[in-house]
Amino acid sequence: MECRVLSIQSHVVRGYVGNKSATFPLQVLGFEVDSINSVQFSNHTGYTHWKGQVLTADELNVLYEGIKLNKVNRYDYILTGYSRDTSFLMTVVDIIQELKKANPSLVYVCDPVMGDQGAMYVPEYLLPVYRDNVVPLADILTPNQFEAELLTGRKITTEEDAVEVMDLLHKMGPETVVLTSTDLPSRRGDQFLVALGSQKIVKPDGTVTSQIICMDIPKVDAVFVGTGDLFAALLLAWTHHYPKDLKAACEKTVSVMHHVIKRTITYANEMAGPGKRPSPAQLELRMVQSKADIENPAIVVEAKVLQKYSH
Amino acid sequence: QCIFQNTSSTVQKLFLRQTGEAEGQRGFLGFEVDSINSVQFSPIQGDGTGDFDPAPSYSHWRGQVLTADELHVLYEGIKLNNVHKYDYVLTGYTRDTSFLEMVVDIVQELKRANPNLVYVCDPVLGDHGSMNLYPVYKNKVVPVADIITPNQFEAELLTGKTITTEKDAVEVMDLLHAMGPDTVVITSSDLPSRLGDRFLVSLGSQRHVRPDGSRKTQRVRIDVPKVDAVFVGTGDLFAAMLLAWTHHYPKDLKMACDKTFSVMHHVIKRTIAYAHELAGPGRRPSPPQLELRMVQSKADIENPDVVMEATIIS
Repeated sequence: MECRVLSIQSHVVRGYVGNKSATFPLQVLGFEVDSINSVQFSNHTGYTHWKGQVLTADELNVLYEGIKLNKVNRYDYILTGYSRDTSFLMTVVDIIQELKKANPSLVYVCDPVMGDQGAMYVPEYLLPVYRDNVVPLADILTPNQFEAELLTGRKITTEEDAVEVMDLLHKMGPETVVLTSTDLPSRRGDQFLVALGSQKIVKPDGTVTSQIICMDIPKVDAVFVGTGDLFAALLLAWTHHYPKDLKAACEKTVSVMHHVIKRTITYANEMAGPGKRPSPAQLELRMVQSKADIENPAIVVEAKVLQKYSH
Repeated sequence: QCIFQNTSSTVQKLFLRQTGEAEGQRGFLGFEVDSINSVQFSPIQGDGTGDFDPAPSYSHWRGQVLTADELHVLYEGIKLNNVHKYDYVLTGYTRDTSFLEMVVDIVQELKRANPNLVYVCDPVLGDHGSMNLYPVYKNKVVPVADIITPNQFEAELLTGKTITTEKDAVEVMDLLHAMGPDTVVITSSDLPSRLGDRFLVSLGSQRHVRPDGSRKTQRVRIDVPKVDAVFVGTGDLFAAMLLAWTHHYPKDLKMACDKTFSVMHHVIKRTIAYAHELAGPGRRPSPPQLELRMVQSKADIENPDVVMEATIIS
């Protein structure tokens, strides 16, 4: 498999977020990963202390120039995640447009990181940039409920709402949308959260293939960092292997997430000791230790097909 | 296990010249790798600087370098969170004396935090050498190193002694032991191989202290098939693999070298085959075509078929 991914995300010296979360699993699965580090920090910002440097939009351009001048700017996938800076994000948009011209089959996997649980954790002025410039270029989008609501201006209170919102997102650009988590009640009870996915492929002859799925995912009583980045990278890998079968791609992706998170929480609780809440350092994803699960995940979550048609 | 690594990172791959290493590779072997990227470049720099490697390189490179101060800031962040316990430190190519001196300070502090820490140092001075770096390596870096991987030129520069025979090489390695590191591998030399001129000679030496206090040195020689191409990043891969395999065989340099040199052989063989395929018959492969087939070599990295065997000498 000769598949090259350009991943523009954060780098931390210690721990697993951004490019650290994305690179190892993709390499393990046989992808060539070229990474541009949008920042280099000692660790993620959930720790008590963090220090480091950010890449400016100009510096990003400079790096891309280097690749272009050597005529090695042909990519099969682009992957982006967390960003705080409009000019950086706009430079990313320019780069993606150029790369899509160089390879029209390029797939842009976009995690539109803006916030969660009703609160934004990036500056508000990033929303119009995502909505008007970034999402229209995306082929695969992995918003959580809050981000999906922000992008479409629609609230999600029922499964029907979720399906409508995903359809609105399709109209904005991406053929594949996965709502990575929602507050919708799970039929399996309150120990589970609901995730949904929708794939709408319009063929050149006008036929439309559509698949909508939903998954009940066990909740975990801890806050993880880097899981969204891992999710997007895994979804890239598994949609590559199952480009027209969102159910299969999501089952693999969510199953790997489950194994990694389970291993991580067990280790974290062990390190913290009985009755104590693990620290951010202890909760770093057990990525390297999960290699076997990443390579060949046992399926532990089944996606339910809500809708599937071709016309 | 935790490694703190000073790497140069490129957009194209996670290594630059003889610096740095794709984390994934050591991740495959189960090591937790924390990396500080000393530069971020898109393809590797050309030869305009007059540095080593007269072979064709990428014609263009762009990027940013980390200053000694910025390095310090990153290290501070780790220290403040009290997560600065490492089992290994790995460093490679540096162009900057103040950066290198900051690295030494960090290594010394990390060794205070964990006296069992092993510092694996590739003393990259190239074949023409950066003359202002050499005294820093000789006087400050090598003395705190536990494992070093110089080539012949670097070994000669550090000790002030020329190598023309195997006996010279053994003496040079002993001199290097006296400077600090208990494990020395001269990664390549011009010494004639008994297998003929399609081979180059590498040597290794590991010094142990027996329970009774006496010293024992194990020395090995490896005859390595020459490949008609110039690779970049192989020295970095070598240092990383030697770290991994000496970790598994801390008192058996022969085993560690058998594994390390075998992995190198598999990766290089796969790379050259692919590069020639891409270049076409009769054409010299370009730098992008010669990038190491790292990801494709995962199985060989995890479980290398031993195809190179080190000979124990004295």
